[in-house]
Amino acid sequence: MNRIILITLKGIFRDRIFQGIMALSVLFLFIPSAASLSMRQVVELSTTLSLSLISFIMLLLAVFLGATSIWKDIERRYTFSVLSLPISRSTYLLGRFLGIAIFMLITALFLGSIAMISIKVASLIYPPARPLLWSAIVAAIFFDALKYIVVVAVAMMLATVSTSFFLPIFGSVSTYLVGTITQQVYDYLQTPSAQKAVSAAVRNVAQLLYYLVPNLNSFDLKVNAIYAIPLNPSGLFLTVIYFVVYIGILLAVSAILFGRREMK
Amino acid sequence: MSTLQRPLLVLLICMICYGLTLGPFTAYMKRKPVEEKLGYVPSVNLFRYISADHKEFVGATLLMKVLMYFGGLMDKQDSKAVTEVPDYRGMSNIIHTALKLDPYNVDGYYFAQSFLVWEVKQYDIANKLLDYGMKYRTWDWYLPVFAGFNHAYFLKDYIKAADYYKRAGELKGDALYFSLAGRYMQESGQTELAIAYLSAMEKGERNPAVKKNYQIRLAAFQEVRRIEQARDRYLSSGGTLPVLLETLVRSGLLVPAPLDPYGGQFYLGENGKVATTSKFAFAGAKKEDEKKVENAR
Repeated sequence: MNRIILITLKGIFRDRIFQGIMALSVLFLFIPSAASLSMRQVVELSTTLSLSLISFIMLLLAVFLGATSIWKDIERRYTFSVLSLPISRSTYLLGRFLGIAIFMLITALFLGSIAMISIKVASLIYPPARPLLWSAIVAAIFFDALKYIVVVAVAMMLATVSTSFFLPIFGSVSTYLVGTITQQVYDYLQTPSAQKAVSAAVRNVAQLLYYLVPNLNSFDLKVNAIYAIPLNPSGLFLTVIYFVVYIGILLAVSAILFGRREMK
Repeated sequence: MSTLQRPLLVLLICMICYGLTLGPFTAYMKRKPVEEKLGYVPSVNLFRYISADHKEFVGATLLMKVLMYFGGLMDKQDSKAVTEVPDYRGMSNIIHTALKLDPYNVDGYYFAQSFLVWEVKQYDIANKLLDYGMKYRTWDWYLPVFAGFNHAYFLKDYIKAADYYKRAGELKGDALYFSLAGRYMQESGQTELAIAYLSAMEKGERNPAVKKNYQIRLAAFQEVRRIEQARDRYLSSGGTLPVLLETLVRSGLLVPAPLDPYGGQFYLGENGKVATTSKFAFAGAKKEDEKKVENAR
Protein backbone atom coordinates (compact mmCIF):
# COMPACT_ATOMS: atom_id res chain seq x y z
CA MET A 1 0.00 0.00 0.00
CA ASN A 2 2.89 2.32 0.78
CA ARG A 3 3.88 2.13 -2.86
CA ILE A 4 0.44 3.21 -4.01
CA ILE A 5 0.53 6.13 -1.58
CA LEU A 6 3.92 7.07 -2.98
CA ILE A 7 2.76 6.69 -6.58
CA THR A 8 -0.29 8.87 -5.83
CA LEU A 9 1.87 11.57 -4.28
CA LYS A 10 4.36 11.40 -7.13
CA GLY A 11 1.51 11.62 -9.64
CA ILE A 12 0.13 14.75 -7.97
CA PHE A 13 3.55 16.40 -7.91
CA ARG A 14 4.18 15.35 -11.52
CA ASP A 15 0.94 17.05 -12.54
CA ARG A 16 2.52 20.27 -11.24
CA ILE A 17 -0.36 20.83 -8.86
CA PHE A 18 1.98 21.91 -6.09
CA GLN A 19 3.60 24.47 -8.38
CA GLY A 20 0.12 25.81 -9.04
CA ILE A 21 -0.49 26.13 -5.32
CA MET A 22 2.85 27.89 -4.89
CA ALA A 23 1.89 30.35 -7.62
CA LEU A 24 -1.48 30.97 -5.94
CA SER A 25 0.25 31.52 -2.61
CA VAL A 26 1.66 34.76 -4.04
CA LEU A 27 -1.78 36.14 -3.21
CA PHE A 28 -0.88 35.93 0.49
CA LEU A 29 1.64 38.73 -0.08
CA PHE A 30 -1.20 41.12 -0.86
CA ILE A 31 -3.29 40.20 2.15
CA PRO A 32 -1.76 42.68 4.65
CA SER A 33 -2.25 45.60 2.24
CA ALA A 34 -5.81 44.51 1.36
CA ALA A 35 -6.60 44.14 5.05
CA SER A 36 -5.38 47.67 5.79
CA LEU A 37 -8.72 48.84 4.34
CA SER A 38 -10.36 47.71 7.55
CA MET A 39 -11.28 50.45 10.02
CA ARG A 40 -10.47 48.81 13.32
CA GLN A 41 -9.42 45.22 12.73
CA VAL A 42 -6.62 44.94 10.22
CA VAL A 43 -5.07 41.81 11.72
CA GLU A 44 -8.46 40.16 12.10
CA LEU A 45 -9.22 40.91 8.46
CA SER A 46 -5.79 39.53 7.44
CA THR A 47 -6.60 36.32 9.29
CA THR A 48 -10.07 36.17 7.70
CA LEU A 49 -8.65 36.61 4.20
CA SER A 50 -5.80 34.13 4.78
CA LEU A 51 -8.06 31.42 6.19
CA SER A 52 -10.66 31.92 3.47
CA LEU A 53 -8.00 31.70 0.77
CA ILE A 54 -6.59 28.48 2.26
CA SER A 55 -10.09 27.08 2.55
CA PHE A 56 -10.89 27.94 -1.07
CA ILE A 57 -7.67 26.41 -2.47
CA MET A 58 -8.18 23.25 -0.42
CA LEU A 59 -11.79 22.94 -1.59
CA LEU A 60 -10.66 23.02 -5.22
CA LEU A 61 -7.94 20.45 -4.51
CA ALA A 62 -10.26 18.16 -2.57
CA VAL A 63 -12.95 18.18 -5.24
CA PHE A 64 -10.66 17.73 -8.22
CA LEU A 65 -8.14 15.31 -6.73
CA GLY A 66 -10.81 13.26 -5.00
CA ALA A 67 -13.11 13.14 -8.00
CA THR A 68 -10.59 12.60 -10.77
CA SER A 69 -8.03 10.23 -9.23
CA ILE A 70 -9.96 6.94 -9.54
CA TRP A 71 -11.98 8.06 -12.52
CA LYS A 72 -8.77 8.88 -14.40
CA ASP A 73 -7.27 5.50 -13.53
CA ILE A 74 -10.31 3.68 -14.88
CA GLU A 75 -10.50 5.92 -17.95
CA ARG A 76 -6.84 5.41 -18.81
CA ARG A 77 -7.14 1.73 -17.98
CA TYR A 78 -4.38 1.99 -15.37
CA THR A 79 -6.58 0.00 -13.03
CA PHE A 80 -6.16 -3.10 -15.19
CA SER A 81 -2.42 -3.17 -14.86
CA VAL A 82 -2.45 -2.12 -11.20
CA LEU A 83 -5.13 -4.56 -10.14
CA SER A 84 -3.42 -7.44 -11.94
CA LEU A 85 -0.69 -7.04 -9.33
CA PRO A 86 -1.15 -9.00 -6.10
CA ILE A 87 -3.02 -6.22 -4.28
CA SER A 88 -6.69 -6.03 -3.42
CA ARG A 89 -9.00 -3.36 -4.76
CA SER A 90 -9.51 -2.09 -1.20
CA THR A 91 -5.78 -1.63 -0.70
CA TYR A 92 -5.54 0.22 -3.97
CA LEU A 93 -8.45 2.49 -3.00
CA LEU A 94 -7.06 3.11 0.48
CA GLY A 95 -3.61 3.87 -0.96
CA ARG A 96 -5.09 6.39 -3.38
CA PHE A 97 -7.09 8.03 -0.57
CA LEU A 98 -4.17 8.20 1.85
CA GLY A 99 -1.92 9.65 -0.86
CA ILE A 100 -4.37 12.48 -1.50
CA ALA A 101 -4.98 12.97 2.25
CA ILE A 102 -1.24 13.32 2.86
CA PHE A 103 -1.01 15.79 0.00
CA MET A 104 -3.85 17.83 1.57
CA LEU A 105 -1.93 17.92 4.87
CA ILE A 106 1.28 18.98 3.09
CA THR A 107 -0.65 21.75 1.33
CA ALA A 108 -2.21 22.86 4.62
CA LEU A 109 1.24 22.97 6.22
CA PHE A 110 2.69 24.97 3.33
CA LEU A 111 -0.20 27.42 2.94
CA GLY A 112 -0.62 27.66 6.71
CA SER A 113 3.02 28.67 7.19
CA ILE A 114 2.75 31.39 4.53
CA ALA A 115 -0.56 32.59 5.98
CA MET A 116 0.97 32.83 9.44
CA ILE A 117 3.86 34.88 8.09
CA SER A 118 1.43 37.25 6.39
CA ILE A 119 -0.67 37.53 9.60
CA LYS A 120 2.50 38.18 11.61
CA VAL A 121 3.54 40.91 9.17
CA ALA A 122 0.10 42.52 9.44
CA SER A 123 0.27 42.36 13.24
CA LEU A 124 3.69 44.04 13.25
CA ILE A 125 2.47 46.91 11.08
CA TYR A 126 -0.89 47.29 12.80
CA PRO A 127 -0.67 45.91 16.35
CA PRO A 128 -4.00 44.23 17.16
CA ALA A 129 -6.17 45.27 20.10
CA ARG A 130 -6.18 41.68 21.33
CA PRO A 131 -3.10 39.44 21.18
CA LEU A 132 -3.19 36.77 18.47
CA LEU A 133 -4.05 33.24 19.53
CA TRP A 134 -1.62 31.22 17.42
CA SER A 135 -2.87 27.90 18.74
CA ALA A 136 -6.36 28.72 17.41
CA ILE A 137 -4.94 29.71 14.03
CA VAL A 138 -2.98 26.46 13.76
CA ALA A 139 -6.02 24.46 14.89
CA ALA A 140 -8.25 26.27 12.37
CA ILE A 141 -5.90 25.38 9.49
CA PHE A 142 -5.46 21.78 10.66
CA PHE A 143 -9.21 21.22 11.07
CA ASP A 144 -9.79 22.86 7.69
CA ALA A 145 -7.50 20.18 6.20
CA LEU A 146 -9.48 17.46 8.00
CA LYS A 147 -12.70 18.92 6.63
CA TYR A 148 -11.44 18.76 3.07
CA ILE A 149 -10.14 15.23 3.60
CA VAL A 150 -13.78 14.32 4.37
CA VAL A 151 -14.73 15.98 1.06
CA VAL A 152 -12.01 13.91 -0.68
CA ALA A 153 -13.47 10.73 0.81
CA VAL A 154 -16.98 11.69 -0.36
CA ALA A 155 -15.69 12.45 -3.86
CA MET A 156 -13.82 9.14 -3.99
CA MET A 157 -16.88 7.21 -2.83
CA LEU A 158 -18.94 8.78 -5.60
CA ALA A 159 -16.13 8.10 -8.09
CA THR A 160 -16.25 4.38 -7.32
CA VAL A 161 -19.78 4.12 -8.72
CA SER A 162 -19.73 6.79 -11.38
CA THR A 163 -18.70 6.37 -14.98
CA SER A 164 -17.99 10.08 -15.50
CA PHE A 165 -16.45 12.71 -13.27
CA PHE A 166 -19.65 14.82 -13.13
CA LEU A 167 -21.21 12.93 -10.25
CA PRO A 168 -18.09 12.99 -8.03
CA ILE A 169 -17.43 16.69 -8.72
CA PHE A 170 -20.96 18.00 -8.33
CA GLY A 171 -21.74 15.48 -5.63
CA SER A 172 -18.78 16.47 -3.48
CA VAL A 173 -19.41 20.21 -3.99
CA SER A 174 -23.05 19.71 -2.97
CA THR A 175 -22.00 17.67 0.04
CA TYR A 176 -19.61 20.44 1.03
CA LEU A 177 -22.34 23.09 0.73
CA VAL A 178 -24.95 21.02 2.55
CA GLY A 179 -22.43 19.84 5.15
CA THR A 180 -21.61 23.40 6.19
CA ILE A 181 -25.26 24.33 6.80
CA THR A 182 -26.83 21.18 8.27
CA GLN A 183 -26.08 22.42 11.78
CA GLN A 184 -27.91 25.72 11.13
CA VAL A 185 -30.91 23.89 9.68
CA TYR A 186 -30.91 21.51 12.64
CA ASP A 187 -30.71 24.38 15.13
CA TYR A 188 -33.53 26.15 13.35
CA LEU A 189 -35.73 23.05 13.43
CA GLN A 190 -35.34 22.89 17.21
CA THR A 191 -36.90 26.34 17.66
CA PRO A 192 -40.60 26.58 18.60
CA SER A 193 -41.43 28.68 15.53
CA ALA A 194 -40.01 25.98 13.25
CA GLN A 195 -41.98 23.30 15.10
CA LYS A 196 -45.13 25.13 14.03
CA ALA A 197 -44.08 26.19 10.53
CA VAL A 198 -42.42 23.01 9.28
CA SER A 199 -44.34 19.76 8.90
CA ALA A 200 -43.24 16.70 10.83
CA ALA A 201 -42.32 14.80 7.66
CA VAL A 202 -39.98 17.53 6.42
CA ARG A 203 -38.47 17.79 9.88
CA ASN A 204 -37.79 14.06 9.95
CA VAL A 205 -36.16 14.12 6.53
CA ALA A 206 -34.02 17.08 7.58
CA GLN A 207 -33.04 15.29 10.77
CA LEU A 208 -32.11 12.18 8.82
CA LEU A 209 -29.97 14.28 6.48
CA TYR A 210 -28.35 15.94 9.50
CA TYR A 211 -27.08 12.57 10.71
CA LEU A 212 -26.28 11.28 7.22
CA VAL A 213 -24.39 14.19 5.66
CA PRO A 214 -21.01 15.05 7.21
CA ASN A 215 -21.30 17.87 9.73
CA LEU A 216 -18.56 20.12 8.34
CA ASN A 217 -19.57 23.00 10.57
CA SER A 218 -17.74 21.41 13.50
CA PHE A 219 -14.44 21.69 11.61
CA ASP A 220 -14.84 25.43 11.14
CA LEU A 221 -12.74 27.20 13.77
CA LYS A 222 -12.30 30.44 11.84
CA VAL A 223 -14.10 32.60 14.42
CA ASN A 224 -11.79 31.32 17.17
CA ALA A 225 -8.71 31.97 15.05
CA ILE A 226 -9.77 35.42 13.83
CA TYR A 227 -11.00 36.87 17.12
CA ALA A 228 -8.69 34.94 19.49
CA ILE A 229 -11.57 33.12 21.17
CA PRO A 230 -10.30 30.20 23.29
CA LEU A 231 -10.86 26.72 21.82
CA ASN A 232 -12.87 23.98 23.46
CA PRO A 233 -10.45 21.00 23.80
CA SER A 234 -13.12 18.37 24.48
CA GLY A 235 -15.11 19.63 21.47
CA LEU A 236 -12.03 19.35 19.28
CA PHE A 237 -11.35 15.85 20.58
CA LEU A 238 -14.92 14.82 19.73
CA THR A 239 -14.53 16.34 16.26
CA VAL A 240 -11.39 14.26 15.65
CA ILE A 241 -13.22 11.09 16.72
CA TYR A 242 -16.14 12.08 14.47
CA PHE A 243 -13.65 12.57 11.61
CA VAL A 244 -12.02 9.16 12.08
CA VAL A 245 -15.32 7.30 12.35
CA TYR A 246 -16.94 9.13 9.43
CA ILE A 247 -13.91 8.57 7.18
CA GLY A 248 -13.94 4.89 8.22
CA ILE A 249 -17.57 4.54 7.13
CA LEU A 250 -16.98 6.35 3.82
CA LEU A 251 -13.94 4.24 2.98
CA ALA A 252 -15.69 1.00 3.91
CA VAL A 253 -18.65 1.87 1.67
CA SER A 254 -16.26 2.92 -1.10
CA ALA A 255 -14.34 -0.36 -0.81
CA ILE A 256 -17.57 -2.38 -1.01
CA LEU A 257 -18.80 -0.43 -4.03
CA PHE A 258 -15.40 -0.55 -5.75
CA GLY A 259 -15.05 -4.25 -5.06
CA ARG A 260 -18.38 -4.96 -6.76
CA ARG A 261 -17.73 -2.71 -9.70
CA GLU A 262 -17.35 -4.40 -13.04
CA MET A 263 -14.31 -3.24 -14.94
CA LYS A 264 -13.96 -4.27 -18.55
CA MET B 1 1.31 31.21 -42.94
CA SER B 2 -2.24 31.89 -44.11
CA THR B 3 -3.51 29.63 -41.33
CA LEU B 4 -1.95 32.01 -38.82
CA GLN B 5 -2.85 35.17 -40.67
CA ARG B 6 -6.59 34.81 -40.24
CA PRO B 7 -6.66 34.40 -36.46
CA LEU B 8 -4.08 37.19 -36.19
CA LEU B 9 -6.33 39.47 -38.20
CA VAL B 10 -9.33 38.57 -36.05
CA LEU B 11 -7.27 39.18 -32.93
CA LEU B 12 -6.14 42.56 -34.22
CA ILE B 13 -9.71 43.62 -35.08
CA CYS B 14 -10.95 42.42 -31.69
CA MET B 15 -8.16 44.30 -29.89
CA ILE B 16 -9.06 47.50 -31.71
CA CYS B 17 -12.75 47.00 -30.92
CA TYR B 18 -11.83 46.33 -27.29
CA GLY B 19 -9.84 49.57 -27.15
CA LEU B 20 -12.77 51.45 -28.69
CA THR B 21 -15.30 49.96 -26.26
CA LEU B 22 -13.15 50.45 -23.21
CA GLY B 23 -13.47 54.25 -23.19
CA PRO B 24 -17.29 54.47 -23.24
CA PHE B 25 -17.55 51.42 -21.00
CA THR B 26 -15.34 52.92 -18.29
CA ALA B 27 -17.18 56.23 -18.58
CA TYR B 28 -20.51 54.42 -18.18
CA MET B 29 -19.29 52.58 -15.09
CA LYS B 30 -18.08 55.85 -13.59
CA ARG B 31 -21.39 57.59 -14.25
CA LYS B 32 -23.44 54.67 -12.96
CA PRO B 33 -25.71 56.00 -10.19
CA VAL B 34 -24.35 55.41 -6.71
CA GLU B 35 -27.57 53.75 -5.55
CA GLU B 36 -27.00 51.11 -8.17
CA LYS B 37 -23.46 50.65 -6.97
CA LEU B 38 -24.54 49.97 -3.39
CA GLY B 39 -26.88 47.49 -5.00
CA TYR B 40 -29.35 45.05 -3.66
CA VAL B 41 -28.34 42.58 -1.01
CA PRO B 42 -30.19 39.28 -0.64
CA SER B 43 -31.65 38.25 2.70
CA VAL B 44 -29.40 37.24 5.59
CA ASN B 45 -30.65 33.66 5.51
CA LEU B 46 -29.75 33.21 1.88
CA PHE B 47 -26.30 34.66 2.55
CA ARG B 48 -25.87 32.35 5.50
CA TYR B 49 -26.47 29.34 3.30
CA ILE B 50 -24.49 30.33 0.25
CA SER B 51 -21.47 31.65 2.10
CA ALA B 52 -20.78 28.12 3.45
CA ASP B 53 -17.71 28.33 5.68
CA HIS B 54 -16.71 31.78 4.43
CA LYS B 55 -19.15 33.77 6.58
CA GLU B 56 -16.46 36.01 8.05
CA PHE B 57 -15.08 36.70 4.59
CA VAL B 58 -18.51 37.50 3.13
CA GLY B 59 -19.28 39.71 6.13
CA ALA B 60 -16.03 41.65 5.70
CA THR B 61 -16.66 41.99 1.95
CA LEU B 62 -20.13 43.45 2.54
CA LEU B 63 -18.71 45.97 5.01
CA MET B 64 -16.02 46.94 2.49
CA LYS B 65 -18.73 47.54 -0.09
CA VAL B 66 -20.53 49.98 2.22
CA LEU B 67 -17.28 51.71 3.17
CA MET B 68 -16.26 52.17 -0.48
CA TYR B 69 -19.70 53.55 -1.31
CA PHE B 70 -19.53 55.99 1.60
CA GLY B 71 -15.93 56.94 0.75
CA GLY B 72 -17.01 57.75 -2.82
CA LEU B 73 -19.77 60.03 -1.58
CA MET B 74 -17.43 61.81 0.84
CA ASP B 75 -15.06 62.52 -2.05
CA LYS B 76 -17.89 64.03 -4.04
CA GLN B 77 -18.90 66.17 -1.07
CA ASP B 78 -15.30 67.24 -0.75
CA SER B 79 -15.09 68.42 -4.31
CA LYS B 80 -18.53 70.06 -3.86
CA ALA B 81 -19.61 68.22 -7.02
CA VAL B 82 -22.82 66.84 -5.60
CA THR B 83 -24.24 66.84 -2.13
CA GLU B 84 -26.47 63.84 -2.39
CA VAL B 85 -27.78 62.15 0.71
CA PRO B 86 -26.20 58.71 1.16
CA ASP B 87 -28.55 55.76 1.10
CA TYR B 88 -28.39 55.28 4.87
CA ARG B 89 -31.15 52.70 4.90
CA GLY B 90 -29.30 50.55 2.37
CA MET B 91 -26.05 51.01 4.28
CA SER B 92 -27.71 49.99 7.53
CA ASN B 93 -29.28 46.92 5.91
CA ILE B 94 -25.98 45.72 4.53
CA ILE B 95 -24.19 46.29 7.84
CA HIS B 96 -26.90 44.35 9.68
CA THR B 97 -26.53 41.49 7.20
CA ALA B 98 -22.74 41.52 7.59
CA LEU B 99 -23.02 41.43 11.37
CA LYS B 100 -25.49 38.57 11.30
CA LEU B 101 -22.89 36.64 9.29
CA ASP B 102 -20.01 37.62 11.54
CA PRO B 103 -21.21 39.13 14.84
CA TYR B 104 -17.60 39.69 15.92
CA ASN B 105 -16.64 42.15 13.21
CA VAL B 106 -15.99 45.43 15.02
CA ASP B 107 -15.87 47.46 11.80
CA GLY B 108 -19.62 46.93 11.39
CA TYR B 109 -20.55 48.30 14.83
CA TYR B 110 -18.09 51.09 14.51
CA PHE B 111 -19.29 52.25 11.14
CA ALA B 112 -22.98 51.83 11.97
CA GLN B 113 -22.47 53.95 15.10
CA SER B 114 -20.73 56.64 13.05
CA PHE B 115 -23.80 57.39 10.93
CA LEU B 116 -26.85 55.79 12.56
CA VAL B 117 -26.90 58.20 15.50
CA TRP B 118 -25.43 61.36 14.00
CA GLU B 119 -26.86 61.39 10.53
CA VAL B 120 -30.10 59.45 10.71
CA LYS B 121 -30.85 59.70 14.44
CA GLN B 122 -31.85 56.04 14.70
CA TYR B 123 -30.74 55.70 18.31
CA ASP B 124 -32.84 52.65 18.98
CA ILE B 125 -31.46 50.70 16.00
CA ALA B 126 -27.90 51.73 16.91
CA ASN B 127 -28.30 50.72 20.56
CA LYS B 128 -29.89 47.38 19.70
CA LEU B 129 -27.00 46.67 17.36
CA LEU B 130 -24.50 47.55 20.09
CA ASP B 131 -26.29 45.34 22.64
CA TYR B 132 -26.17 42.51 20.09
CA GLY B 133 -22.44 43.07 19.60
CA MET B 134 -21.75 43.12 23.34
CA LYS B 135 -23.12 39.58 23.58
CA TYR B 136 -20.30 38.40 21.34
CA ARG B 137 -17.44 40.86 21.82
CA THR B 138 -17.42 40.42 25.58
CA TRP B 139 -13.91 41.89 25.90
CA ASP B 140 -14.49 44.98 23.81
CA TRP B 141 -14.81 48.25 25.74
CA TYR B 142 -15.60 50.31 22.64
CA LEU B 143 -19.15 49.04 22.29
CA PRO B 144 -20.26 50.04 25.83
CA VAL B 145 -18.56 53.42 25.28
CA PHE B 146 -20.67 53.93 22.14
CA ALA B 147 -23.82 52.81 23.94
CA GLY B 148 -23.01 55.02 26.95
CA PHE B 149 -22.50 58.01 24.72
CA ASN B 150 -25.76 57.40 22.85
CA HIS B 151 -27.70 57.20 26.09
CA ALA B 152 -26.05 60.24 27.63
CA TYR B 153 -25.88 62.57 24.67
CA PHE B 154 -28.86 61.69 22.52
CA LEU B 155 -31.35 60.00 24.82
CA LYS B 156 -30.43 61.89 28.04
CA ASP B 157 -30.79 58.63 29.94
CA TYR B 158 -27.94 59.24 32.37
CA ILE B 159 -28.58 56.22 34.57
CA LYS B 160 -28.25 53.76 31.70
CA ALA B 161 -25.34 55.72 30.26
CA ALA B 162 -23.49 55.49 33.57
CA ASP B 163 -24.06 51.71 33.52
CA TYR B 164 -22.49 51.38 30.10
CA TYR B 165 -19.54 53.63 30.99
CA LYS B 166 -19.01 51.59 34.13
CA ARG B 167 -18.90 48.43 32.04
CA ALA B 168 -16.42 50.04 29.64
CA GLY B 169 -14.27 51.10 32.59
CA GLU B 170 -14.29 47.58 33.99
CA LEU B 171 -13.32 46.07 30.65
CA LYS B 172 -10.58 48.55 29.94
CA GLY B 173 -9.36 48.71 33.54
CA ASP B 174 -9.24 52.45 33.13
CA ALA B 175 -10.66 54.97 35.56
CA LEU B 176 -11.27 57.47 32.77
CA TYR B 177 -14.61 56.01 31.84
CA PHE B 178 -15.84 56.05 35.41
CA SER B 179 -15.05 59.74 35.63
CA LEU B 180 -16.47 60.29 32.15
CA ALA B 181 -19.68 58.80 33.42
CA GLY B 182 -19.91 61.40 36.14
CA ARG B 183 -18.32 64.47 34.59
CA TYR B 184 -20.49 64.98 31.59
CA MET B 185 -23.76 63.61 32.86
CA GLN B 186 -25.47 66.96 32.84
CA GLU B 187 -27.09 69.14 30.23
CA SER B 188 -24.42 71.86 30.48
CA GLY B 189 -21.62 69.44 29.63
CA GLN B 190 -23.20 68.05 26.48
CA THR B 191 -20.97 69.82 23.98
CA GLU B 192 -17.90 68.83 26.00
CA LEU B 193 -19.12 65.24 26.01
CA ALA B 194 -19.56 65.28 22.25
CA ILE B 195 -16.12 66.85 21.71
CA ALA B 196 -14.42 64.32 23.99
CA TYR B 197 -16.16 61.46 22.18
CA LEU B 198 -15.53 62.79 18.67
CA SER B 199 -11.85 63.56 19.33
CA ALA B 200 -11.28 60.03 20.59
CA MET B 201 -13.08 58.56 17.57
CA GLU B 202 -11.27 60.78 15.11
CA LYS B 203 -7.88 59.96 16.59
CA GLY B 204 -8.36 56.20 16.32
CA GLU B 205 -9.81 56.26 12.82
CA ARG B 206 -7.91 54.78 9.89
CA ASN B 207 -10.40 55.02 7.06
CA PRO B 208 -9.92 58.43 5.42
CA ALA B 209 -13.61 58.93 4.54
CA VAL B 210 -14.86 58.16 8.03
CA LYS B 211 -12.01 60.15 9.60
CA LYS B 212 -12.92 63.15 7.47
CA ASN B 213 -16.55 62.79 8.54
CA TYR B 214 -15.48 62.89 12.19
CA GLN B 215 -13.14 65.83 11.61
CA ILE B 216 -15.93 67.92 10.09
CA ARG B 217 -18.31 67.11 12.92
CA LEU B 218 -15.62 67.79 15.49
CA ALA B 219 -14.87 71.18 13.89
CA ALA B 220 -18.59 72.01 14.03
CA PHE B 221 -18.80 71.11 17.71
CA GLN B 222 -15.68 73.12 18.51
CA GLU B 223 -17.39 76.11 16.95
CA VAL B 224 -20.49 75.42 19.05
CA ARG B 225 -18.33 75.38 22.16
CA ARG B 226 -16.73 78.69 21.16
CA ILE B 227 -20.18 80.25 20.76
CA GLU B 228 -21.34 78.79 24.08
CA GLN B 229 -18.31 80.21 25.88
CA ALA B 230 -18.91 83.64 24.34
CA ARG B 231 -22.60 83.43 25.24
CA ASP B 232 -21.76 82.57 28.85
CA ARG B 233 -19.28 85.46 29.08
CA TYR B 234 -21.97 87.78 27.70
CA LEU B 235 -24.44 86.48 30.26
CA SER B 236 -22.08 86.92 33.20
CA SER B 237 -21.11 90.46 32.18
CA GLY B 238 -24.55 91.77 31.15
CA GLY B 239 -26.89 89.54 33.11
CA THR B 240 -29.03 88.71 30.08
CA LEU B 241 -28.81 86.12 27.33
CA PRO B 242 -27.99 87.45 23.88
CA VAL B 243 -30.84 87.06 21.37
CA LEU B 244 -28.75 87.24 18.22
CA LEU B 245 -25.42 85.66 17.43
CA GLU B 246 -24.37 88.87 15.74
CA THR B 247 -24.51 90.62 19.12
CA LEU B 248 -21.70 88.35 20.33
CA VAL B 249 -19.63 88.95 17.21
CA ARG B 250 -20.12 92.73 17.33
CA SER B 251 -19.31 92.93 21.03
CA GLY B 252 -15.96 91.28 20.29
CA LEU B 253 -16.67 88.21 22.43
CA LEU B 254 -16.81 85.93 19.39
CA VAL B 255 -13.96 86.70 17.04
CA PRO B 256 -13.70 85.49 14.34
CA ALA B 257 -17.33 84.87 13.48
CA PRO B 258 -18.19 81.15 13.71
CA LEU B 259 -18.19 79.09 10.55
CA ASP B 260 -20.32 76.00 10.09
CA PRO B 261 -18.25 73.39 8.18
CA TYR B 262 -21.52 71.90 6.92
CA GLY B 263 -22.29 75.14 5.08
CA GLY B 264 -25.12 76.26 7.36
CA GLN B 265 -25.39 79.27 9.67
CA PHE B 266 -25.24 79.19 13.43
CA TYR B 267 -27.97 80.94 15.42
CA LEU B 268 -29.10 81.16 19.01
CA GLY B 269 -32.29 79.28 19.73
CA GLU B 270 -34.49 79.24 22.80
CA ASN B 271 -32.71 79.85 26.11
CA GLY B 272 -29.55 80.71 24.22
CA LYS B 273 -29.12 77.17 22.85
CA VAL B 274 -26.70 77.11 19.94
CA ALA B 275 -28.13 75.63 16.74
CA THR B 276 -27.32 75.67 13.04
CA THR B 277 -29.39 75.77 9.88
CA SER B 278 -27.42 72.81 8.53
CA LYS B 279 -28.48 70.62 11.48
CA PHE B 280 -24.91 69.31 11.33
CA ALA B 281 -25.33 67.61 7.97
CA PHE B 282 -24.44 68.57 4.41
CA ALA B 283 -27.88 67.52 3.28
CA GLY B 284 -29.39 69.76 5.97
CA ALA B 285 -27.62 72.84 4.61
CA LYS B 286 -28.74 71.92 1.13
CA LYS B 287 -32.36 71.56 2.20
CA GLU B 288 -32.19 74.89 4.01
CA ASP B 289 -30.82 76.51 0.85
CA GLU B 290 -33.63 75.02 -1.18
CA LYS B 291 -36.14 76.36 1.35
CA LYS B 292 -34.62 79.83 1.08
CA VAL B 293 -34.79 79.69 -2.70
CA GLU B 294 -38.42 78.61 -2.57
CA ASN B 295 -39.27 81.36 -0.08
CA ALA B 296 -37.59 83.93 -2.34
CA ARG B 297 -39.83 82.80 -5.19
